[in-house]
Amino acid sequence: MRLNMPKLIRLSTERFVIRTLKPGDASERWIGWAADPDVMEPVNTKPAKMTLKELQNYIGSFDQSRRVLVGVFDKRNDLHIGFYAINRSEKQRTATFNVIIGDKDYWGEKVVLETRAALLDHFFDKEGVEKAIGMPLARNFPAVFNYKAQGWRLEGVLRGHCRSAKGGKRLDQCQFGLLREEWRQMRKAGRAT
Amino acid sequence: MTAIDEARALLASALGVSPGDIAEDTRIGTIEAWDSLGHMRLLLEIETALGHELDPDDAMGIESLEDVARLLAGRAA
Repeated sequence: MRLNMPKLIRLSTERFVIRTLKPGDASERWIGWAADPDVMEPVNTKPAKMTLKELQNYIGSFDQSRRVLVGVFDKRNDLHIGFYAINRSEKQRTATFNVIIGDKDYWGEKVVLETRAALLDHFFDKEGVEKAIGMPLARNFPAVFNYKAQGWRLEGVLRGHCRSAKGGKRLDQCQFGLLREEWRQMRKAGRAT
Repeated sequence: MTAIDEARALLASALGVSPGDIAEDTRIGTIEAWDSLGHMRLLLEIETALGHELDPDDAMGIESLEDVARLLAGRAA
């Protein structure tokens, strides 16, 4: 598994398309998510009013190899509703998942379960990843739910592991893990979502 | 009201279903309405009922009606 070449990703699920994001995908919608406390605070990021150029630079900072940025689009209307930032380790063969569904109309619609399943299939089957990692804040209850519902294993709660972007309070963070063989067994048993 | 009845009412309220829809063995994955937002509402309602924030280990352990009832019963003890 050599991570020195950018790769374009395009995956399709029942309801969504997941594809590599490019600077041209920056939009006022996305800028709105970045400024929305409801969207950003659960991922411990201070809401900020970005310019289109700043957002384009952020998107362009991903090398699409070790740091992968993919968007989630509604198949019905090609509406961009969220994104995954995935950090990979070539040496450890791990992929650490971060996800934001910015469009609140899609919250509670099992978007993460459906799209992350496709990404897990892709990274485990095509990219040589052997372990997936997720590290939501302990009080990001929807994210914690999604990891549990998808069969990831809670490996620990890291006490006071990070500092709140909002005010400096120390926050607990979870580590969830999913091994490639566990995922394949779940797929085989029809339990994976 | 027993802890299991209180837990059923609380879970039903959080998930937006009737208490009659919550079976004794209800857990994540057995009822469609138990989604990410329902889970968030459930934990926040439990915190309101307990009068304090959940310990992370307790929050992580909530996967079933029985888990909710156990937490509520612990409050009364």
